[in-house]
Amino acid sequence: MMNSILRNKNKLFIILFWIFIWEILSLIIAQEIYLPSPHAAFSSLINLLTSKDTYITIYYSTYRTLAGFFLSCLSGILLGIICGIYKPIYDLFNPLIIIMRTIPVMSIIIIAIIWFKDTNVPIFVAFLMCFPIIWTNTVSGIRSTDNKLLEMCEVYKIKKIRVISSVYLYSSLPYIQAGMVSALGIGWKVTSAAEVLSLPKYSIGRFLYDSKVYLEIPDLFAWTIIIVSLSFLFETLLKTVFSSGDKND
Amino acid sequence: MIKLVDVTKKYDDLILLQDFNISFEKNKITCLFGPSGVGKTTIANIVAGIVPVDRGFVEGIDNSLFSYVFQEPRLLKWYNVYENIDFVLKDVYEPEKRVDTINSYLKMVELSQYKNYKIDALSGGMAQRVSLARAFAYPSHILIMDEPFKGLDIKLKNEMSSLFIKMWSLSQRTVIFITHDVEEAINLSHVIYTLKNRPVDIVDRIIVNNKEEIKNLLLNL
Repeated sequence: MMNSILRNKNKLFIILFWIFIWEILSLIIAQEIYLPSPHAAFSSLINLLTSKDTYITIYYSTYRTLAGFFLSCLSGILLGIICGIYKPIYDLFNPLIIIMRTIPVMSIIIIAIIWFKDTNVPIFVAFLMCFPIIWTNTVSGIRSTDNKLLEMCEVYKIKKIRVISSVYLYSSLPYIQAGMVSALGIGWKVTSAAEVLSLPKYSIGRFLYDSKVYLEIPDLFAWTIIIVSLSFLFETLLKTVFSSGDKND
Repeated sequence: MIKLVDVTKKYDDLILLQDFNISFEKNKITCLFGPSGVGKTTIANIVAGIVPVDRGFVEGIDNSLFSYVFQEPRLLKWYNVYENIDFVLKDVYEPEKRVDTINSYLKMVELSQYKNYKIDALSGGMAQRVSLARAFAYPSHILIMDEPFKGLDIKLKNEMSSLFIKMWSLSQRTVIFITHDVEEAINLSHVIYTLKNRPVDIVDRIIVNNKEEIKNLLLNL
């Protein structure tokens, strides 16, 4: 108990330290358009948090991020398991996924704007960015499965579907979980980026864009703080779910 | 009778078995005795069908079920003791029969009170007992034991040996027992094949009757 209080005190101190540095920098630069002071950013944040529209916006952006994230988890894990087990299918999909990994986000966003309705663009982009991460981690996880256990399953003539659900899946769980955590973080970033270009009605990206157009830089900082906090919140949530699952095991 | 007939097995350039013949009597314990790396495990794995042969065939294993006690326990560490045995029985028994079977075999290996324990919480000897219970609980016709007591201390080894004999006499099946421990070979088996060379040769087929005499024979190999 005492320890955790101390640790939290420490964290608070570290955060305060960096805000202090930010304050000093903004005083030196002394131009809000380049770097607003923490005070300006936070009062703008408080301002935003009193408006109902902010929450609707957060709701829709969260929905888009999570939709893209869950779609990529579902398909990435499923396809990753199949590719991890069957080498020919891996060889078939691998080039496609290498390409997906190297295409610049902006190209995907612009293509997606042509293909989809504005609100679906960020979902599609988040999906496309998260999918290769989940897929790659799942494949490595499946491949890390102990051959000796698979041999045991072969001797006891265990059905393939049960080998997958009881052996492969459990062995690759740590890899899949790590993949999901990093995919979620990237999901938040690319969703906002896609929103800036596709401009759905309620979206954090649209507000980021507007604050650029109207040069309301404290607003830009306030929205950024919101995105970072949301990302942090959901990452913590995901990790909590994973660690409680470990305990139940 | 289970027979390997004119079996040849190569690993790249390494010829492990060349026109090799061996037979295992039904419901008897047959020991493959010989130095490490001679190909004992390969012979057993060919019988079990997990290693394909390059030439020749195996007779007398149609529709047979196999169970295996490996050198390591090979248990699923995310499941508990009970679930590990349940895992291999799910496709062969109805749920009720599974509960009875698992409980009775756990009792036999004296692990009843540990049935909800995770594998990581067990000692090496206990984990190997789970592996033994799993092998006997599974309705196999042929049981392969690949140096199952290796790495256990003398006391545990003796406990495991008598446990194995007790379980085998309650439910007799064809056993292929791999070892390079003389005591184990003599105390546990009915027939001993002594193996040597590469490609592997059967040096001798010994029917275990006079234990002292055979012991001297094996020690002098």
